[in-house]
Amino acid sequence: MNRIPVTKEEIETLAKAARLDLPENRRQLVAKTMDGIYQILASLDSVELGDTAPAFAYRAKWEGR
Amino acid sequence: MHDMLNLSLTGVAEKIRKKEISPVELTEAALARIEATEGVLNAYVRLNADHALTAAREAEAEIVTGRYRGELHGVPVALKDLYDMEGLPTTCSSKVRHDHLAEQDSACTARLKAAGATIVGKTHTHEFAFGITTPTTGNPWNAEHIPGGSSGGSGATVASRGCFMAMGSDTGGSIRIPAAVCGTIGLKPTFGRVSRFGVASLSWSLDHVGPLTRTVRDAAITLKWLAGYDPRDPGSANETVDDYLSALDAGVKGLRIGVPRNYFFDLVDIEVNKAVQVAISKLESLGAVLKEVDIPYADQIMGVEFGLCMPEASAYHRGMLRERADLYGEDVRVFLEAGELISATDYITALRVRQQMKDAWQTLYTEVDAVIAPSVAAPATRRDQEVIDWGGGNEEPVTPAFVRLSAPANVTGLPSVAVPCGFSSSGLPLSFQIIGRPFGEARILRIAQAYESATDWHTRAPSL
Repeated sequence: MNRIPVTKEEIETLAKAARLDLPENRRQLVAKTMDGIYQILASLDSVELGDTAPAFAYRAKWEGR
Repeated sequence: MHDMLNLSLTGVAEKIRKKEISPVELTEAALARIEATEGVLNAYVRLNADHALTAAREAEAEIVTGRYRGELHGVPVALKDLYDMEGLPTTCSSKVRHDHLAEQDSACTARLKAAGATIVGKTHTHEFAFGITTPTTGNPWNAEHIPGGSSGGSGATVASRGCFMAMGSDTGGSIRIPAAVCGTIGLKPTFGRVSRFGVASLSWSLDHVGPLTRTVRDAAITLKWLAGYDPRDPGSANETVDDYLSALDAGVKGLRIGVPRNYFFDLVDIEVNKAVQVAISKLESLGAVLKEVDIPYADQIMGVEFGLCMPEASAYHRGMLRERADLYGEDVRVFLEAGELISATDYITALRVRQQMKDAWQTLYTEVDAVIAPSVAAPATRRDQEVIDWGGGNEEPVTPAFVRLSAPANVTGLPSVAVPCGFSSSGLPLSFQIIGRPFGEARILRIAQAYESATDWHTRAPSL
């Protein structure tokens, strides 16, 4: 899964999907930051995860109140 | 400097117990010391003199009538300003929280109060703990350098003898980084060992809370008073609390200490590397058995750290980012905006890789009792410095450079303690960390104690 450089137009689309009002003058800055983050996250793509389940903190047991 | 402020927490507690030191005089001295150094350090968001002196008077009255509560009774301590303290703002060193007021104590605040500690103030953090430079604050060894972060104020005040213990929080190294660059002990307990209830979150999956102190025994004592299950923190662990003190001086003879072949020494300042190697040799001379180990999933450590921290931080700040974006510092704002754009599947992938990483570290610990490594890759950088130049055209931004060696203990949740091990040629502290098994704080503290007892780095004080 190759990560490609993110454009500020794509950032605008992603921000809309997140319901985040991202002013025009911030999109380039966020795009640059996202590039760095995507590069770091790309290291996870090579891991064969099989059926490994994530650990969530949720516990169904009711605690005393 | 007043002699009693130069004592360790352990030392001053003994004198308080014996009624040789007055908690009121001690607290007054601590407050005066802080006020004398704040012009240079700016370690505190606010001082809490009224509360501290009231608590000190109560402590003194109890102790003179034979009601001594224990080692923290009458001892000046501080809280990172992420910790709620009833009736006071918890600003998180951010304008975003200028109108916040805590309605109740955090779990740690309540435990410290119950132990009789006098809380002298709230220390500066990198805004919302989302960074490692703490730009408000100076390093006590050279105020032109960073105190580390995000618990930078806590590191600065403990090192400069403003108080005997200060609480920090650690999501990617934020206890151990300031401890390392300020020359203090920094203990990040196992995930879930100490309750985070009432502490502003950066990342629920990675946040840990714990103390910065001047000696290993001081950290062990503090943990004794703080550790325990708390159902109000969904990450809290219902595990037996060990005795952290009884075997503290048992030494390291026969203990197997893992020395990483990869990752931890790959890109490290030459003076840091040398100091840590000397420390490893010291532990070997004390009887530890060294064994080379390979760090598993090394290429994924930062991916898991950022893959969990970024979207969780953005989720915590979701409302505030939409209402008060202009009040955030630029570095934090752009991280929060970016974290909104990470996909849920990337986030869950990070959680799943973390599970596999946990299993691999468990296998690693079949061969060793602890792992030793540098706490951070370099001594404190200058406050205006943005990158570290590793030579050969290789420049690394300061934040990942400091986080990458501390992050392994965050993503695995394993306990880790940062221990001073010397000074750079420019007079800045150097540090190693010992990473233990889950809930193995007693053992890593024992190793740290063996080293500390054989050296005198912890007795050095900055000349402020």
